[in-house]
Amino acid sequence: MLRSVKGVICQGPKLDSGYFLHASARAWLSAAVNQDAQIPAEKPRAVFRTNESNPANHAEQHEGQHYSIPLQEVKVVFPHGLPYRFQMQMKTFNESCLMVRKPALELLGYLKSTNLAHPAIRYVIYGEKGTGKTMTLCHAIHYCAKQDWLVLHIPDAHVWVKNCRELMQSSYNKERFDQPLEASTWLKNFKTSNDHFLKEIKTQQTYMWSKRESTEKGRPLGEVVEQGLTRVKNASDAVGVVLKELKQQCPLGAFRLLVAVDGINALWGQTTLRKKDKSAVSPEELTLVHNLRKMVVNDWNGGAIVTTLSQTGSLFKPRSAYLPHELLGKEGFDTLDPFIPIRVSNYSQREFESCYQYYLDRKWLQHDRARTEEGRKELLFLSNSNPWQLERISAYL
Amino acid sequence: MAAARGCLCSCARPMLPRLCVGLVAGPGSLLRAAAYSTALGVGSAGPSQREVAASRRSRTSQIARNRRVPGAPRTEKMAVDQDWSNVYPTAAAFNPSSVPLPIRMGYPVKRGVPPPKGGNLELIKIPNFLHLTPPAIKKHCAALKDFCTEWPTVLDSDEKCEQHFPIEIETVDYVSAGPSVRNPKARVVTLRVKLSKLNLDDHAKKKLIKLVGERYCKDTDMLTITTDRCPLRRQNYDYGIYLLTVLYHESWKTEMWENEKTEADMEEYIWENSPSQKNALDTLLRIRAAEKITEVTREELLGSEMVENYKTSVVVLKNGETENNILQYKESVMKLLNLRA
Repeated sequence: MLRSVKGVICQGPKLDSGYFLHASARAWLSAAVNQDAQIPAEKPRAVFRTNESNPANHAEQHEGQHYSIPLQEVKVVFPHGLPYRFQMQMKTFNESCLMVRKPALELLGYLKSTNLAHPAIRYVIYGEKGTGKTMTLCHAIHYCAKQDWLVLHIPDAHVWVKNCRELMQSSYNKERFDQPLEASTWLKNFKTSNDHFLKEIKTQQTYMWSKRESTEKGRPLGEVVEQGLTRVKNASDAVGVVLKELKQQCPLGAFRLLVAVDGINALWGQTTLRKKDKSAVSPEELTLVHNLRKMVVNDWNGGAIVTTLSQTGSLFKPRSAYLPHELLGKEGFDTLDPFIPIRVSNYSQREFESCYQYYLDRKWLQHDRARTEEGRKELLFLSNSNPWQLERISAYL
Repeated sequence: MAAARGCLCSCARPMLPRLCVGLVAGPGSLLRAAAYSTALGVGSAGPSQREVAASRRSRTSQIARNRRVPGAPRTEKMAVDQDWSNVYPTAAAFNPSSVPLPIRMGYPVKRGVPPPKGGNLELIKIPNFLHLTPPAIKKHCAALKDFCTEWPTVLDSDEKCEQHFPIEIETVDYVSAGPSVRNPKARVVTLRVKLSKLNLDDHAKKKLIKLVGERYCKDTDMLTITTDRCPLRRQNYDYGIYLLTVLYHESWKTEMWENEKTEADMEEYIWENSPSQKNALDTLLRIRAAEKITEVTREELLGSEMVENYKTSVVVLKNGETENNILQYKESVMKLLNLRA
């Protein structure tokens, strides 16, 4: 009850400020254009914003600053990847700004120096709840997309192991289960982000979907995706085919592959799905999970695997668990081993200052006290520099 | 009622025979008698009332005279160097006039202090150890000394005691005043021994720990066996010693089915033949293959320093995961995969 009321209150000021911002943003932009010569107006901007919009050029001096991604790019690169609250913020501010942070810079450094001949290295981003793991992953994805890698982005692996309304027995393997809805949603989004690749990559063998439908050898991969989208029954198998083809062809060097999985601990945890006889379904009995597990093993080369651990959507894990072994479990850890763990923590002083200035600049903090030094200290204390917490508190002000 | 009582009391004395009429009948009749007596005449009623009042006053004054005046509390008569065990020779409730301490106990009133000890139920309710002061205990020891034997002079430290007598036996004796001296709790015997004193090899120690389960404490390396299944203490002691012997001999034996021990049964993480080792070696071999270096063998890789480093960090991580461990693991993996920071 309370939550729904809070939601209403949340929506209210956002809509109003959204309209308000449209007008003010336009006015402000025109004012900025007129006052180009005025340097003092630029100076407060420089603290928390940077004009460098290509992640490849992000370096230590950009740490703590926000860089904006053009909205057109966002639609292509992130059809399904940004956190829900960030998407709402994007709609309100009419721009999408990501903060450049140290873990992301570290990860980008590793990605830049990837040796494509070596087996794919696995990176696991971990940290407490709400510290910015998904955003770090999105930063890396943006970099790879800009560098023309093929991005295989699974936005939340937890979605595949819970709340499935239609669980069908797989036609390919009697033991496994298909999830047509989830698979077709994913295929649609995958198509949006990697359309040009799908036309170039050709299948290496024939796939029989049914007695009458098949995809010949040498056809573009886009046809497999189309097959999955039109015949929803075969969607999970289509996903499997896509993953297999990509894994086989990536070592040949035609393209570079980034496998980005958010919430990878879902693959080795438990599911809430049940079979017809009410017995629990284990993750490897799901086609999607089975194929994805094969993807994150490092027996291929020519790309990288970046994953995040997430307690937020996870099943049967305590809220305070964030270390890799706790969330992955023994099986998951042994499969991913050896991997590079990357820690993401709460905002530092500089980053908090930057975020606070950004919200003030976007007129998100409407309360009078928010501008004062006391207000800033109060925000710092209440949120404990936790990005998620800060965002939630600011939404009420 | 008071009037009736007064009437009854006055009837006890021989001076007023008039009111003896209604004595045995009860209060109702007494009242009627009283009403009757007033109906007789005003003159006769007056002196009876006065006499009732007078008798009441004199009765209360007599009670007051008979009541003993309390003397000075004992605390005022105590000398500073008195023998306290005379005041509290046994366990007794707290007596405020026997304890010369200005103690306050209880919840204070608003803007006040805790109530004083006089008539303080809180102090009386709680158990006190006023009968167990050090001089009193000294007296107990002196009294018990006649029944004790001398402590051996060789055993002057804890380590020597442990070295010569590794097994500790604990028994409890119960004394109570009652019709019977028996207490069923007295048959419990507790045996304590440190496993480091027993001659066990690695396999025997692990097997013994698995056999005893909860009775072993890892922090103090102590095995505790508590027996109470026999009716007599001597029998329980024998049974405890028998259990220890059996555990020791059984843990040295290796059964045929013990070689089916799976990874889940292992107490600690062993890196050899683990998926982690396989993964690491496979990755390294693939890296070498990519670099076209084919002369490297598995043994060489296993012996190399970075693999050793990786192995230690994985073992430490598996045994207990902390931030530091993960940072160490990260460094070792970076060295393994030849990544520069």
